[in-house]
Amino acid sequence: MHLIRQFAVILVLTAIGSAYSLISGLAPLPWAEPEIGPNEIRLQDARVLDVIWVDARSEAEFATEHAPEAIFYDPGDPGGSMALVLENWLMEPRVIVVYCSDEGCGTSKKIADELRANLPDAEIYSLKGGWAAWSE
Amino acid sequence: MVRVNLKGLFALVARLVLAWVFIRAGLPKVQDPAVFAVSIDGFRIISGSLTLWVAVVLPWLELIIGIGLLTPWLRRASAWLIAALLGLFITLHASAWARGLDINCGCFGETADSPDYHWLILRNLGLLLIAIFLLRKDAGNKTTPEHSTT
Repeated sequence: MHLIRQFAVILVLTAIGSAYSLISGLAPLPWAEPEIGPNEIRLQDARVLDVIWVDARSEAEFATEHAPEAIFYDPGDPGGSMALVLENWLMEPRVIVVYCSDEGCGTSKKIADELRANLPDAEIYSLKGGWAAWSE
Repeated sequence: MVRVNLKGLFALVARLVLAWVFIRAGLPKVQDPAVFAVSIDGFRIISGSLTLWVAVVLPWLELIIGIGLLTPWLRRASAWLIAALLGLFITLHASAWARGLDINCGCFGETADSPDYHWLILRNLGLLLIAIFLLRKDAGNKTTPEHSTT
């Protein structure tokens, strides 16, 4: 078979395979993917990383349920909470992900900014969709 | 007495090795493109929906050219694409290494290991040499199916 025709066959087969992945739901639809900010991370991305979770919700919400080994960020003791996160990161430097209740809350972004100011070498994100993304 | 064509035998083994590597690399990523997208993001070259498109299309391309390398009527284009992809992978790994990125290569799906850039680049160089050998052999072989049947 002529080389160009071979390339065309491979192209068509690849397109069919890709279409199958999109239609069957194996792959997320690229065009439906919500835009995320530069300092945000999607739950699907954060879950495959070894991260330090920082919970910026209320103490009651944290007590009910929280991310695995999450650190509660106590607004009444920001210095102590900051020190705890710092200590965890220094023991084992990892990506830090802060989450609050849902898409609308801004606490996670604010705390992520504060952490960034104190830990300029760390990779710090706020979770897209907040805790609500876990239950979706 | 059976005469063994050593070059032919080497080409067969080379073809099987290269095909296996690409099929083995493509399959897990076809099954979980979202995880592969995270690896692509780690290279800090593309982002957003383009990353997802690459994460969907590239594994299928790897799988098809891996199988194509064993298919007489697709083997030449497959070998060209494999050589091109290996060249691209070597460039990307060298670029990530130069920028000091702690990437997850994503070569064979999800791994938590930090990259050993020496090994990644050497391995891909070795595979590239194999692909070039197959291309040269196919170009010089007047009895390949495309020459004999068309």
